[in-house]
Amino acid sequence: MEATFLLTLLITFLASFIGYELISKIPQTLHTPLMSGSNAISGITLIAAILIYPEVGDSQLLKIILLLAIAFATLNIVGGFSVTGRILEMFKKND
Amino acid sequence: MIEIILLVSSILFIFALKLFGRPSTAHRANTFAMLAMALAVFSAFNFDFSKYDSAFYITIVVSGLLGVLISKRVQMTQMPELVGLFNGFGGGASGAIAYVELSGSSLPISVVFVAIFSMGIGMFTFSGSLVAVMKLRGKLNNFNKKLADIFSVFFPLILVIPAVLEMDELLMEFIILVALIAGVIRVAVIGGADMPVVIAFLNSLSGIAALSAGFIVNSIILIVAGALVGASGIILTLLMCAAMNRTLRDVLKGGFGGTAINNEYEKDPISTSPEDVAIQLSYAESVVIVPGYGMAVAQAQAAVKELTNTLKGKNIEVKFAIHPVAGRMPGHMNVLLAEVDIDYEDMYTLEDINSEFSSTDVVIVLGANDVVNPLARTDEDSPIYGMPILDVDLAKQVIVIKRSMSPGYAGIANPLFINDNAKMLFADAKEGLENIIKSFELV
Repeated sequence: MEATFLLTLLITFLASFIGYELISKIPQTLHTPLMSGSNAISGITLIAAILIYPEVGDSQLLKIILLLAIAFATLNIVGGFSVTGRILEMFKKND
Repeated sequence: MIEIILLVSSILFIFALKLFGRPSTAHRANTFAMLAMALAVFSAFNFDFSKYDSAFYITIVVSGLLGVLISKRVQMTQMPELVGLFNGFGGGASGAIAYVELSGSSLPISVVFVAIFSMGIGMFTFSGSLVAVMKLRGKLNNFNKKLADIFSVFFPLILVIPAVLEMDELLMEFIILVALIAGVIRVAVIGGADMPVVIAFLNSLSGIAALSAGFIVNSIILIVAGALVGASGIILTLLMCAAMNRTLRDVLKGGFGGTAINNEYEKDPISTSPEDVAIQLSYAESVVIVPGYGMAVAQAQAAVKELTNTLKGKNIEVKFAIHPVAGRMPGHMNVLLAEVDIDYEDMYTLEDINSEFSSTDVVIVLGANDVVNPLARTDEDSPIYGMPILDVDLAKQVIVIKRSMSPGYAGIANPLFINDNAKMLFADAKEGLENIIKSFELV
């Protein structure tokens, strides 16, 4: 997915706008799972780490920093989704 | 092929947010988001898994398992800390990635600026979140606000230092250090009860850090997901601020609360006993319970559920009134109540329930204080003036379960406690409720 800088900015704007519209409708009751869920999504930065990992070269320091980033992001994603699932399960059984 | 996977992933993320709008469909939203994430991560490999060494795969597997372990073991009362910690991890990861990109490859100049931005925001989020977690755990008292003010004044000067010293070599390390210190100091001055705002704000920053990382590696999916997280965090931040009638700037400035400004009362409150409360409740037709942070601290959720069952068994209507900033993160009280199987249909927001208090027989205030302080309506000089509150003082009778007359976060007296229709049950939230339940068996 290559795009020019301006097109990328447009996508950023549209995504923020859609996000704002949809999230505004989420009821207060679900604000905690919303936070833990969006928290998990912010771990998507893992993709950036995966993309640059093969190109990091010989520097051991940079590699270790990148591995640390990978650990943080993975923990963020897996832990975030798992705990969000746990919370939402509590809301589900009321139905 | 990769493009199509990414397109599907973006659409799934947006659909996930849509499904999140209702408690009954929200669990499916999580599945959608997980699927979207799996597709996005998978696509990043570009079908070439051999480019990665064992250190890479071991890191992913170990941290993934650790994530599962943490999420299974965490208590619902610890959710604010967990979300805070994960915010920090997300921000730290984005910051570290930006650092690696800045040191490794030659980036176009526009991207260099985005990368520096991402690095700064990421590191700020990292250190700020760790401090927030320590504050939530009660390991850190309010930091000296004066020191923070001095830092804020000198902050622009610090940023000029590299230019003056012509330090090209350590410039990035310097920016990281400043961002880390800024995160620590900024969050350290903010009081515990403002943490809902801080956590939501840091959540937003972790999304913005991911978004800018998307610009560095030119990944649309990263930008889309980062923007969604950023938007969600900002919405919650603004909602929390509005619920306290304060601006974000004012909250982040810190120094609010924590010390008693005025805790004088004109007269003594009427104190009551568990037996009297039980009698009072058994004559009521409608009861509204207002939970606050005190409920979480005392782990009184199970007792709340038991009392609710007892009352409902006597055909008494029970509702829960939840102030947006009750607890230590947005929606904190709702999750604690849901955990003990209280129906979310019985949980009401401030807007939905305020008109009902005047026809409510008994209100039980459980570990909440400032959010039911009528001074917010009447006293222009009060620090909480204008803050939307739950108008429990309009109910026929109010029972406040609280350990002492000590003030809430705002540090001011709460005239509700000495209102003619109010009685104090001096007890820890859990113990107080359990004693009331015991008394019911005797009534």
